Amino acid sequence: MQISVTISRFNPDTDTSPRMEPWNVQVEDGARVLNVLERIHDMDPTLLFRSSCRAGQCGSCAVKMNGEPVLACTEEALDGMVIEPLDLPVIGDLMVDLVPGINDIPRIHPSECGTNPTQEDVLRIKPLRDCIECLSCVSVCPAMKVTEFLGPTSMRSQMRIALDPREPGNRIREALEQGLFTCTSCNRCWRVCPKNIETPGKAIEKLREIANREGLTLPRHQEVAELVRTTGRSVESGKHVFLDLVDEVIEPFGDVKREVGFFVGCMFNARLPERAMDMLEVMRHAGIRVIIPKDQVCCGSPLIRTGQTSIINALMEKNIRVFQDRGITTVMTMCAGCGATLKNDYETPFEVKDVSEILTETGLPPLKLLQTTATYHDPCHLMNGQQITKQPREILVQAVERFIEMPAMCCGSGGGVRSGLPDEAAALGEMRRTAIRKTGADVVVTICPFCEYHIQEHSDKPVKNLMTILVEALGEKPTELS
Amino acid sequence: MQDQEIIRSHVLVIGSGGAGVRAAIEASNAGTCVLISKTIVGKGGCTIMAEGGYNAVMSEADTISDHYADTMKGGAYLNDPELVRVLTEEAPARMNDLISWGGVFDITDTCTICQRPFGGQCFPRTCYAGDRTGHEIMATLMEQLSNSNVRIFHEISAFDLIVSQGRIVGAFGLDRKGKMYTFLADATVLASGGGTRVYDISTNSSGGNGDGYAMGWRAGAELIDMEQVQFHPTGAVYPWDARGRLVTEAVRGEGGVLKNSNGERFMSRYDPDRMELSTRDVVARACATEIQEGRGTIHGGVWLDVSHLPAKRIEERLPVMLEQFLKYGVDIRTQPMEVGPTAHHIMGGLRITPFCQTTLPGLFACGEVTGGVHGANRLGGNALADTQVFGRRAGAFAGSEPAREIQFPEDQADSAKKMLEKFLAGDASPGTVKREIQRIMWDGAGIFRSKSTLEETRAALDALSKKNLKADSPSGFNECCTVRNMIDTARLIVTGAFLRDESRGAHVRTDIVQDWDAQVSPFGHTILTRTGATIERRKS
Repeated sequence: MQISVTISRFNPDTDTSPRMEPWNVQVEDGARVLNVLERIHDMDPTLLFRSSCRAGQCGSCAVKMNGEPVLACTEEALDGMVIEPLDLPVIGDLMVDLVPGINDIPRIHPSECGTNPTQEDVLRIKPLRDCIECLSCVSVCPAMKVTEFLGPTSMRSQMRIALDPREPGNRIREALEQGLFTCTSCNRCWRVCPKNIETPGKAIEKLREIANREGLTLPRHQEVAELVRTTGRSVESGKHVFLDLVDEVIEPFGDVKREVGFFVGCMFNARLPERAMDMLEVMRHAGIRVIIPKDQVCCGSPLIRTGQTSIINALMEKNIRVFQDRGITTVMTMCAGCGATLKNDYETPFEVKDVSEILTETGLPPLKLLQTTATYHDPCHLMNGQQITKQPREILVQAVERFIEMPAMCCGSGGGVRSGLPDEAAALGEMRRTAIRKTGADVVVTICPFCEYHIQEHSDKPVKNLMTILVEALGEKPTELS
Repeated sequence: MQDQEIIRSHVLVIGSGGAGVRAAIEASNAGTCVLISKTIVGKGGCTIMAEGGYNAVMSEADTISDHYADTMKGGAYLNDPELVRVLTEEAPARMNDLISWGGVFDITDTCTICQRPFGGQCFPRTCYAGDRTGHEIMATLMEQLSNSNVRIFHEISAFDLIVSQGRIVGAFGLDRKGKMYTFLADATVLASGGGTRVYDISTNSSGGNGDGYAMGWRAGAELIDMEQVQFHPTGAVYPWDARGRLVTEAVRGEGGVLKNSNGERFMSRYDPDRMELSTRDVVARACATEIQEGRGTIHGGVWLDVSHLPAKRIEERLPVMLEQFLKYGVDIRTQPMEVGPTAHHIMGGLRITPFCQTTLPGLFACGEVTGGVHGANRLGGNALADTQVFGRRAGAFAGSEPAREIQFPEDQADSAKKMLEKFLAGDASPGTVKREIQRIMWDGAGIFRSKSTLEETRAALDALSKKNLKADSPSGFNECCTVRNMIDTARLIVTGAFLRDESRGAHVRTDIVQDWDAQVSPFGHTILTRTGATIERRKS
């Protein structure tokens, strides 16, 4: 079959920037990206790329296909694909300098006084041991772009060392110096990992738990934990509190098409209740009954992300119970962080869905296109945490006249970074400012309250919740609380 | 010489698979050690992609003498008994080295290492880490290497050994841009791996082109049994570009069954006792015969099925297989795999003593580049053990060589440079020649061989060897050198196959009728040197 492909070419000795080179090549059915590169190499032997094992086990051949890191040897080639090097220093064309990154990875120092791992230890270590050091995770890590962070796979290795009794010592302070708290928990590393290693959840947050046991949690994070412990909430109540403003059951206009329970989350409850009110207005028009148990508490995300998990079980049990007691089978989240937590950290007897999933499934009420150009910021905990990217766009294009894509990147507000390391969060926020400017959009739309709050501080353009946009497109006035 | 680097060390190790890295770790205890690799160190070779396991006697219920007997029998008694003795005796200690360095192997609830049954063995002797055992071993070795003071040269390809007064004193190498490096050492360890990439369908990594056999042979070393090429019974057959990708023997070890297109478990006709867990030579020939006789699948393979096993067991024991087949749209928990034979391992290679000395002073060798350990057929799980046992030995004995004065080899460097520069005036695309070699070898020197096919193959290789390989710029030198090595390696295989007038182990001559079993064969090793080739005759 014939495949057209665009390859990024770059010779650092002669070029100032990469150029995109189009090719048409004949390949066999089922060809991988690597096979396409090899065909091109036959015609142009100067094309630089790496490969070795051809079986997805050596991590030599990672490249970007249509912007996403993939292993060239295992990823099926697509017609029209664009192949670029990973975002690492380029040696030439698709070949990047992997050696410094590999050398950075901390290695175990087994001691003679250590003991061999038990079966239980092995089972815990194994998921962290699949790493093929392709450095895809390093190439996408936002924290590494703005601060001193040794990177996701280094933290993966630190956790593996921490779990291994052959190195009896404790290297948590080393991990801290290597930037343990700089991770925004954006989970991009997990999503690009060819071995599907859940580094933030299985390594970074677990290392932060160890740090917590050693009394090394950042002071600001401790304050948040204290707040949750005393109030059940991770955000201090402002002037208006969503749960105090609304009835427990919100009936739609007209027929009830569907019923959901609403998990509000601390940010929408106490800091941005207007957005949750906007959502309720959308639900009324969409024919969806919303049940809001008033005794729900913080989902625990701010504690899990920062390794302060001692009261997590109580929070989880309470939240599950309040929805279960009301016979709710679908719980809707609006906060991306709460949604990811309920989906990934909880074991719930009910299904959990983001508001954008609910609305695309049930159907939107009639909307009038807003005369504006909008771009969309993917919240990490929605895009990576829940793998939801399509639905918000589907909704947005029905509400605005023009939609412009913006490359996704963490805004810097997650993982306790905004509170614990504000400079890093600001630096990432500034990168969003540049990206937003580049789109030329009038408005930035997102769903996550953390992203909205943070990006607004780093954007020349207004940042709006998708629900607020929908209220406007319904021809109504967004909620304002005095 | 201008624009070239000279790197001097006590020991030079060529190759960064399991054997090379193990050798370098060991050699660094004795003095300066340089490790060069054509890939990024740790990413090359075939150890990293080895799946199934590592054979070692780790249980009270098993014995070294059984491991020895299984290996000799599996190897059709062509193995060097002393090397087998060393392999089987030291494999457990080398596994324990890996464990003490941080290796994460599967273990039982009583904290003993898990072992699975593999083909041709009377005891479940194959230690493993899921089906990524080689990856685990490399990860462990790389951790240990980073704790050593080995000096590492990534992405430098050795292309010729340096001979001075009959002694190997190092090697010439090339970087990506074609810049030449001269590595000088009191002792050199060749750990450059195998070469079944000379076949069209192969499990080997991109680097498995036989560089070490070719370099050793050109430098005057003695090679043995190069005709003994193992065809692994189960490689992928579809899609086209994935042909040959290894489907681990662990699939059969865990209970996978082979069936032809009629749904028959055909192994009952070839080895009713051992069935799917017969030795690889037997299973590969059985699969090839089924396919040849018209009982194959649409894509020219046979079925390998684990769908009768619990899904959880497949997920735990064969995660890499599951992941790889899913990438190609096959869920092995519910669907059978389509597999066929694929060139996997060269049992022959440089002749070594138990101290890993080759026939050339100053040159040591370990791993797949050596011959004698596996005889005429290698047992699954013995290669990983081989890398560790002989890797350590090669490093240790190379390290114990005395320091010497080494002159810069002016003349050899000049002629090496001239050879390289000649590529700039060549006219044959190395890529085209390479594909031609692979096709010729698969057609004429594959699982079934005869004098006439071998003659044709030899003639075709001779013709290819006369071509002037072309490099557009010095950055193309490397590929030209690789193809040169492939031609030499292919010719060594064919020469050995010619000399061995019998069917034995992996080597099958369809034109020869014999009335002897391997144990009483009149033949010993084939011996290949630059000055001639012969086959040993055993005294009856």
